[in-house]
Amino acid sequence: MVHALDEIHRVLVTGGNLVDLRPLLDRWPIEVSSNGENREVGRATDLPEPLNDDGAANQAMVLAEQRGWFVRERQDVFPFFYYWDTPREMQEYIDETWNDVIQVEDGLWSSLRSSWATANADARVRIRLKMMITSLHKQNLF
Amino acid sequence: MTVQTDPERTESKYLQRYADFTGKRVLEIGCGDGRLTWQYATSAGRVTGIDLHGDDLRVATIDRPSDLEQQVLFARADSIHLPFHKESFDIAILAWSF
Repeated sequence: MVHALDEIHRVLVTGGNLVDLRPLLDRWPIEVSSNGENREVGRATDLPEPLNDDGAANQAMVLAEQRGWFVRERQDVFPFFYYWDTPREMQEYIDETWNDVIQVEDGLWSSLRSSWATANADARVRIRLKMMITSLHKQNLF
Repeated sequence: MTVQTDPERTESKYLQRYADFTGKRVLEIGCGDGRLTWQYATSAGRVTGIDLHGDDLRVATIDRPSDLEQQVLFARADSIHLPFHKESFDIAILAWSF
């Protein structure tokens, strides 16, 4: 990761911007969304390896700043939602796409199906990712 | 299986707040199928999207609007060996890629 930041530093003009945009694992809430209201049913479980990857990426950024490659300007976190029409579609997606990132317990799937089935006809299910965005600018190292 | 991502367009709003793309040379690392690229490409000067996944890059190329063909390029490349000259870009985006 530090090598990638070194490369980005090389190809950016002095004063150029680096924007780091990525999700952070944080036991993402799983919700039923219906009639403009959202109800949390439970939270996904973070798997250890990607959780370690988040930490390693954060450390690489700190190292790049310590080496004087970049100066951090601002940082925010914001929600990013994935929506599905049914719990089954959500489960299929998570099993296929995020099976090495998060785990959802069987009991939570059961609760989600119940909550969705008893909600209004417009009910959808969603997962709320925690996104982090950071802006840095390239330093001139002389 | 239908999934809808970020219908609130929160990501796009934050991205626009964090960088002024107007006329800029942009490198997007981890561009995937171009989902993020299309949120800022029209205002940028030139965009180069790189990714390691050829299938995603094919989707991005197919989805590229005809009026952006000269402005937005996609290439298969690794972030630890960027195939570009020194100081080629004004903005670099690490797009969900760490």
